[in-house]
Formats: sequence, C-alpha cells, structure tokens
Amino acid sequence: MSAWHVNGTSSYALRGRAYGTEPSATPGRPVRNSRRAPVVALVLLLVALAGWQLGGAVWIQAKAALAQRLIASSWSGMQEDGAKRPWPWADTHPVARLTVPSRHVELFVLAGTSGRSLAFGPGHVDGTAAPGSEGNSVIVAHRDTHFAFLRDLHENEEILVEDARGRVSRYLVREVAVVDKHDTRPLDPADSPQLTLITCWPFDAVQPGTDQRYVVIADRTRG
Amino acid sequence: MAGKSGGYQGGLQSLRADFIELLGKAIVSGIAASVVFGLVALGLATSARAQSKPNDARTGTLLFRTGEAGAFAPAPKVETEVTIHVTGIVARTRVSQTFHNPGEDWVEGVYVFPLPENAAVDRLRLRIGERVIEGQVKEKEAARRIYAEAKREGKKAALVEQQRPNLFTNAVANIGPHEYVRVMIEYQQTLAIDNGEYRLRFPLAITPRYEPAGAAIPDEPKAIEAYQATVDSLGAPPATGPDPVLHPDYAPAGAGAVNPVAIGVVIDFGVPLAKVTSSYHDAWIEKDSGSRTVLYLKKEQEEADRDFELVWSPAGGSAPLAAAFLETRNGTDYALLLVMPPQPTAQEKAAIAPLPRETVFVIDTSGSMQGTSIQQAREALLTGLSTLTARDRFNVVEFNSSTRPMWPDALPATAENLQYARAWVSKLQANGGTEMAGALAFALNGRDTAGYLRQVIFMTDGAVGNEDHLFKLIAQRLGSTRLFTVGIGSAPNSHFMTKAALFGRGSFTYIGDLREVEEKMSKLFAKIESPVLKDVSIRWPDGTPVETYPARVPDLYLGEPVVVAAAHASLKGTIVVSGMRGNQPWSVALTPTAAEEPTGVGALWARARIASLMDELRLGADEALIRPAVVKVALEHHLVSRYTSLVAVDVTPTAPGGEKRSALVKTSAPRSMIAGELPQTDTAFTLQILLGLLALAAAGVGALIGRSIPAGGGEHAAQPAEGAR
Repeated sequence: MSAWHVNGTSSYALRGRAYGTEPSATPGRPVRNSRRAPVVALVLLLVALAGWQLGGAVWIQAKAALAQRLIASSWSGMQEDGAKRPWPWADTHPVARLTVPSRHVELFVLAGTSGRSLAFGPGHVDGTAAPGSEGNSVIVAHRDTHFAFLRDLHENEEILVEDARGRVSRYLVREVAVVDKHDTRPLDPADSPQLTLITCWPFDAVQPGTDQRYVVIADRTRG
Repeated sequence: MAGKSGGYQGGLQSLRADFIELLGKAIVSGIAASVVFGLVALGLATSARAQSKPNDARTGTLLFRTGEAGAFAPAPKVETEVTIHVTGIVARTRVSQTFHNPGEDWVEGVYVFPLPENAAVDRLRLRIGERVIEGQVKEKEAARRIYAEAKREGKKAALVEQQRPNLFTNAVANIGPHEYVRVMIEYQQTLAIDNGEYRLRFPLAITPRYEPAGAAIPDEPKAIEAYQATVDSLGAPPATGPDPVLHPDYAPAGAGAVNPVAIGVVIDFGVPLAKVTSSYHDAWIEKDSGSRTVLYLKKEQEEADRDFELVWSPAGGSAPLAAAFLETRNGTDYALLLVMPPQPTAQEKAAIAPLPRETVFVIDTSGSMQGTSIQQAREALLTGLSTLTARDRFNVVEFNSSTRPMWPDALPATAENLQYARAWVSKLQANGGTEMAGALAFALNGRDTAGYLRQVIFMTDGAVGNEDHLFKLIAQRLGSTRLFTVGIGSAPNSHFMTKAALFGRGSFTYIGDLREVEEKMSKLFAKIESPVLKDVSIRWPDGTPVETYPARVPDLYLGEPVVVAAAHASLKGTIVVSGMRGNQPWSVALTPTAAEEPTGVGALWARARIASLMDELRLGADEALIRPAVVKVALEHHLVSRYTSLVAVDVTPTAPGGEKRSALVKTSAPRSMIAGELPQTDTAFTLQILLGLLALAAAGVGALIGRSIPAGGGEHAAQPAEGAR
C-alpha cells in the first residue's frame, strides 16, 4: 500500500468539510473582510487539524516515554514485593528489563502484546519462553517508539535481560532478518536460550499496518 | 486474587483511560505547535528515508538454525505409520517413522513425538534397505556416547530418548541425500476402561509447554507460601544432560501435511464388540465374523495435528467382570488383574445417600487455550454448573498469568449465585501465561467443609513444563479433597492430567470436541456423586504381601475397574479381590492362567514400577537412590525411561566423516492453535507527523493566499490540504 492510497481515502472527509465552508463564500459580496472570512476559517481549521495530528504524534511518544518511567519505579519495588502494577488501572505488569549498553537503551518489558500495553512498553509474547529462560523468548515493540533503535543494531551487539528475580542474562545478536507478518517462525520455540526482538518494517513507512516484520535474533552467552 | 481488579471492571477502566488520553491530547496539542518547527526537520528527514532497506536485512531470509549464515538446509521429513494390536486390555503398538532427507547434504534428523503416558517402549529397530538392526537398551549417557561415535564414524544410527514421560525424541544420524531411513519403535500399554467403554488414545500433536517465569501473583499468603515452599524444596530442576525438549519446532501454518500419519488398529477382544468409534478421525471399520475388528484411517495420510482416539464397548453384557493375565519371566510371575465391580442397583443407589458437594471449578484461561479450547472449557464449566443442586456449594477460579477466583470462598448453589456464575464464565477469555500453581493452591486450600464432599474440577490443556512442581503441590495440599482433571483441546498434555488426577485421587476426563462436552461432563458428574467400591484389598495366592502397582487400590467410582499389576515369585493360584459396596462387603476370586505366548505383562509391570519410582522422586526422594532402581528395572525389561535409552547402530559406515548438520524435524502444530500473525508493532506516529505538517503547510499557503489575493477562494487552499484527517 502506498502513501497515495492514504491520501486518497482520507481526502474524502476533508473535501466534504471544504465544500461545507463554500456556501458562505459563493454568495459573497465584494467586501474584503467577508471574502477573507472563509479563508481565515479554513486556515484556522487547518491549524487545528495540524495541532490535532501533531498532538497525537507527540502523545504517542510522550505516553511511551512516560509509561516507561512509571514502570521503572514499579520494577524497582517489584523485586522485593513481587509483581506490581505500574499504575493503578494497568492491565499488565513488567516482566523484564532489557538494556542495550551500546545504544544507551533501557526498556521495561510488559507481559502480553495487546495494543494498549504496547503503547507503554515492549511486550513479551505469551506462550514463548520467559525472558532470560531456556528456549525462545520473543519481545515485540513499536518501530517508532521503543524499538526504533533496532534498525541500527548489528551483529554481535550485546543485549542484557534482567528477569523479575534480578537475574541478568547476556545475549549477542546473531541474526537480523525481515519476514512477512504471516510467517510465525520467529515465534517458534528454540532448543537453546534465545531472544527474539520483533518490530514492524520498514521503519520509515508512513502508514501504519505494514505487512513485514524486522526480526533480531540474539543467543545467550555465558558470563 | 491479584487479577481481581481486571476483567469485569475493564469497561470502566478503559473509559477512564480514554478520558485521560483525551485530556492528554488536548494539553499536548498546545505544546505541539511550539515543537512543530523542530519536528519539521525530523519529519522531512524521515519521509526522505522512507522505504529504505537496512543493508543487513535479507527480505524473506528465514530463521532456520543452520550454523552458517545464509545457508538453508531443508528439514528432513518424517512419515509415520502406526499399527496397534489390542488383545484384551493390553495394546501393543508399532510406530514406524520413515525419515526422508530432501536435501543434498548428509543430515541428522531429530523428531520430537508424543506417546501415551503409560507406554512401555521396549523395542527399536533400524531398517536400512533390507537389513534390520535391533536396538539395545543402555543407560542414557552410554547410549548417547554410542550414538555420537556412530555419527562421527559415518554410520547410520538411531537413538530413542524419553524427554518427558509422554514426550520422546528419535534422532537418526547420517541420512544421505534424498535417502529414506526407517525406524520402528514398539511399545505396550494398558487401556483405559470407563463405564464399560474401552478407550485407546494415540497422541499425535504436542501442545507447547508453558514454563512459569517466577512465582505466580496470588494474594493469599498461604498460596505464596505453598508455592515458595515447593520452589525452595525442589530447588533447581534436576540436571540430566541437555535441557529436555519442551517446545517442538512447528512447521509454518499452511505448509500442508508435514508429517503425515497412517493408523491401523486390530482389536482382538475375545468377545464381539457392540460399537467401535474413532472419535476425531474418519475411519473404515471392518468387523470380522468372529471377535476381530480391523480399523484404518480413511485418509491414508492424516496430518499429525490432533490425537487419535478409539472407543469401543463389548456387545451387551458380555464384558468380562474379572480377568487375570500372567507371564513368567526369569523365574518371576507377573500378573495383570482387571476387576469390574458390578453396577449398583437402583435400590443400592438409594441406600448410598450422596453427600452434598462443595465443588470448585478451576478453568485455564491461558493463551494456549485460545480458540476452540476455551469454548470447550467454558461449555464444560457451564454443564458442570447445571449439575449442582441447592444443597451444594461451589466456586469458580480462573487462571492464566495470575489466579482470579470468582468469590473468595465457595457459596451455596442458589439460583441467584448460579446465574451470576454463568454470566461470569461466559465472559472468560484466553490470554496470558499458564501459572497453575497459584490456582491449585487456591483450590486445594486444605480446608474441609464439614458434611460436604469436596471436589476440584480442573479444566486445562495442561500445557505446562513444571509438572513435577505441581504434582508435589497437589500431593501436599490435597487433604480430603478429590481432584478431577478435564483435558481440553486437541492435544492436552495427558501425562500431566493423568498424574495430577492420580495424585489428586480423582480421575481424568478427556474432551477433544465441543460436541462431547455435555455427554462427558454429565458422565463425570454422575460418576463422582459417590464411590461405588471402597477399601479395596487383594489377597494373593500364598498370602504374602506382593509388590503391586498401584500400591493401594483407590476408591472406585461408577464404571471404574480395578487394574493392578503385580510381580512375585509365584502368583499361580487363587487371587481374591474384596471391598465394600456401600455398607455391604463384596469380593471376587480369580485364577490367572499363564498364556502360551508372552503377553508383555512383565513390561507393563516394569513400566508401572518406573512410574511409581519417578513419583517418589517428584515427592522429594533422593535421586541417587531412585536412579539405580529405575535403571535396574529398565535394563531388565528393556525399557526406555528417563535414565535409559534405546540405541541402534549400523555396522558399516556409509557417510563421509566430519561435522554434520543437524535439523529438528518440524512438528505439526495442534489444530486448536490458531495459525497466527506476528503482532502489529507500528503506530500512526509518522503518518500523524506527516499529516500534521501537511495541514500546517496548507494553513500557511492559505494564510498567504488570504493576504495577497483578497478574493481568494477556498478551492485553492483545500487542494494541498488533502490527506489531512
């Protein structure tokens, strides 16, 4: 799907609004102010639209960053008192802390991958091995927030995972690949401890809902 | 417990969250204008790089473990042929696995496959061309060494190992390019008998097991203590070589029949059969003039994605009420007894006034239950609720990553409470992990409600990897409660279900299809109303105590037989089985006759002994004591166990030496697992930035037009604004 498609569909709504402002313009009298009025209205409308869209975009980032701060505090309390909700109405809880020293990344991984929890942090895919344990542990996150750094991650870079009991496992990136979203092989169990990070690809796609996924696979190393 | 504020309050919470989101948006919109210019640069850079391809990613390159980058080894394929021969209550099964290497390299194929939990695997044969090599049972490490050596020397070899009591691997070394290698595995098992029906199950699919991460999050301090105590006392899982295979490697959805299976069954029952049904597969069934019935699957090659089950019952009343089989091996007599207590008459039934029940339904709502499984479980639970009477008390507990009881304690089964429960159950969704310990600890709280028969009905697919921890938990906390397991889905972990029910002194019911729910649940509840035969004891020929499995015959519920395996120097003579039916003593005497050909009773006894020793290990016995005992029995009876494997090695090397590539054979995913997608992981961030900037630019253009051309129309301004929403 190209960017054209998006513009094609959503312009429909806007045209409707643009025409809606027209009737006041067409019977127009030759007075400067009243001729300008629709233009001013339109400009204001556009500014409001811009505010709405940009606000939404900033909100996505703000939520992603803020939630991680809240989770960070619930994480530090959790190691003494067991699992905790990062905020009272949260429907998830942190399960691991993922750090990539070379990229100065520190992320708190939440349980489950519902759209709501992914907005707050990377999600551990249910049914895959627990982070840091034997088998294939799969973590997914948004390409434009938490996992934006994946695009720069290369082979043999170090990833650290701390589980709920404070045990730290060290992983090294083995492989990077792009797969179709229907190809669930990255979720397949593995017979050795492995960490799989998945996000949407391409990173710069304008429209959300891409069909491809960027997959980073790391193997656990001793020490 | 911990999850109690989630779920049914979800609607309210989401409203609140949405309101906060809206508020946030409004505030942020104000700030947005000031950051817009900063973002312009970013936005432009982003859109310029859109669709660029990271240099280290290869589109469509897949994540197959090959050792060298970019190399793709086609996985070996396995075709399975199963022949089952049933004589009386014993089935002997031959599983032929034909490995095919479609590639150009010499490979090693490793196939993970399930077998019934009580299978006594005693024979392995490797067939290469016309030659057949007989496998030998060895201690696990020794077998591994033999296999590794053969692999290095380029000899063909097969190694059958037990990973879990019902999960095995078969490794075949040195399969040449385009070559076929056939491995034949044989085992013996006793059949399940219930309500006059004989049930034979051949597992075909493996549900991936969930390994709990840390402690579950139960609120109740008791539950935490119990769980923690279990974790502490067991310590780290026992290290026995490489980690057991928990998760098979599934073939991608839509790949077709990856590992086709053909099944044929011959039932030689001695008496004519009334009804033979293949529960989940279409099958041809041919009845012979005598007592022989032959069955084979209609589809010659069936996908191994759901278990095979065959149910039959002997024609009207001809079912034997007692039978004994005897085998003499190396100076020891092995006997297998089957005694079916007579059904109580209506009069007797009335005499045994059933106690009111306190029933706790525990339902697994973990991710692995998604799809038809959760539907079946909900349906089963609703059926269970409908059997309750106003005298009974009940509660419902849901668990996935955490445990969530409907009420803190059981409440009377009033119409009102039942109505509430039905609504609560209907809303259950499958999602999250499988932290069973918390739910078990809650249900088995050690409390006893006086005057009530306490039952826990546990509905799950048993997709857990920490079975042993759970068994210990059940054994420790059972008290006078009975635990009944109900297996849900197309491939439940029946080892867990059977053992959990055994430790829980209850029974295991398997529901493989939505249509069976009502029938099977009603049967279960009819059965567990009250035991039919209590205090069962057996007197052996010379009056001395005999080593039997089970060591103590449990109370029998309606339709359940006594099945006992025994070994002693001499068992020839009269055996008396006695017990209490209601308040009447009851007994039956039988004399086993030695069969002319070996019946495999010895192997069954040995398998039961190994299972019992492994149970002791689960309950905390020292592995240093258990291991030699298991090895001794296993070697004597040629059985595969946790500590012994079967290995077969060809004499002549056929493959060039050196490092070989190893590949795990793909396993069909269980049917109930929905073929999924990878989660969607992008937001509208880029789109919104772009649209925002477009709108802003359009506004700028509009403002310019409005200033320079006083008569400017809206049409111009609207044009560049296309795309805004």
